[in-house]
Amino acid sequence: MSGAVQTVVHLPIFGLVLTLAVYLGSLWLHRRTGRPALLTPVFVTVVVVAAVLELVALPYAEYLEQVTVLTLLLGPATVALALPLLANGRALARSAASVVLALMVGAVVSLGVTVGVLRAFGTDPEILRSVLPRSVTSPVALTLAESLQASAPLAVVLTILSGILGAVFAPVLLSLARVQDPRARGFAIGLTSHGIGTSRALDESPVTGGWSSAAMVLNALAMTLVLPLLAPLVSG
Amino acid sequence: MSTREPSDDGPTGDGATDDGRRPLPALLPPVLLGLAVLLVLQMIGLALAALLHLPIPGVVLGLVLLVILGLVPRTRGILRVAEPAGTPLLAHLQLLFVPPGVGVVVEMGALARNALPIALAVGGSFLLALLVVGRVLQALLHRQDRRRGDDGHQRLEGSGA
Repeated sequence: MSGAVQTVVHLPIFGLVLTLAVYLGSLWLHRRTGRPALLTPVFVTVVVVAAVLELVALPYAEYLEQVTVLTLLLGPATVALALPLLANGRALARSAASVVLALMVGAVVSLGVTVGVLRAFGTDPEILRSVLPRSVTSPVALTLAESLQASAPLAVVLTILSGILGAVFAPVLLSLARVQDPRARGFAIGLTSHGIGTSRALDESPVTGGWSSAAMVLNALAMTLVLPLLAPLVSG
Repeated sequence: MSTREPSDDGPTGDGATDDGRRPLPALLPPVLLGLAVLLVLQMIGLALAALLHLPIPGVVLGLVLLVILGLVPRTRGILRVAEPAGTPLLAHLQLLFVPPGVGVVVEMGALARNALPIALAVGGSFLLALLVVGRVLQALLHRQDRRRGDDGHQRLEGSGA
C-alpha cells in the first residue's frame, strides 16, 4: 500500500496535479463561503500542499521540480502586468505628480519601518534582505530576492502574508482613516499588498482595482531600482 | 481602433511582414500567440539584462518593454495580441505563487526564530504605508481636482488603450 503511494508521489506530474487540484478546491471553497479574506485560495493551497508533502514525505526540492511549469509561467505573467498599468494610463498620467509623490512616500515609510524595526532587534542581515521586497508583487519579489542574495522562499512567504493582511484589513483600516477616494484607496492597497490586495480592491470598484494594479506595478518598478542599491547599505 | 495597423501586430514587430494586408493575429490561436509574445518580451528582457550586466531583473525589463510598445501608436496593437494570454495569467497569478509559498516548510525555522521582529516589521510597515499613502494621495488628488474644477471621477475608466 505505502509502496503504491510512494510510486504515485514520485511520478513527475504528481506535484502539478496536487497543486492544481488543491487550488481548484480552494477556489471553490472561497467562492462557496462568500469570499472571506482568510480563506484566500493561495493561502489555503499553500497550507494544504505543504501538509500533503509532509504527509507523503516528498522532499520540497523534488516537488519544486515537478511544478517547474508554474514557476516558468511567472515570467510571462510578470510581463503581462503592463496591461493593467496601461489600461489606467490616462488617469494616471493626468495625476502623475501626485502619483509619483505618493509612491515615494510609500517607499520611504515602508522601507523605513522595516529596516528600523529589524535593525533595532539586531536581526540577521540575510533575513533583513528577505523582508525588504515584501510589498512587491511575488514574481518580482522572487527575482529581487535572488538578486539580493536573500532567501527567496522567505521573501515570497512574507509577500503573500502582506497580501493577505491587505485583503483582510486594508479596506476597514482605510475607512477608519477616512480615506474615501477610490483612487487613493486602490493605490494604497496595491502599494502595500500587491496582487492579492488588488483582487480584493477589484471587489470594491473597477476604479479601486485599476489604481491598485497600477500601484502594484509602479511599486514593483520602483523597488527594483531602489532595493539593489539600498540592500548593501542596510544589511552590510 | 480595432482595425488600424494590422500589419504591426506580429510577435513584437521584430519580423518585417512582407504581406502587410493580412491581419496575422486573426489566423493564429489567440492564447498561444499571446503567450508567445509575452515569452519573447521576457526573453528580450533577460537577454538585455544578461548582456548589458544590468542590475534590474530581466523580467521587469520585459514588462517595461511592453509598456513602451503599448504607448507607441504604431506598436500599440501588441496589447490586443498579448491580452488573451495576459488576462488569464493575471487572473490566476496567485496559483503561480504556490510553489515558492510552499517553501515556508523550508523556511519555518528561520521564520520562527525571528517571528517577533519580522511580524513587527511586516505588520508595521504595512499599516503605516497603507494609511500614509492613502491619506497623502487622497489629499493630493482632491487638491488637483479642485484646481481643475471637476470632480475627476468620470474619466477614470481608462480608455483601455
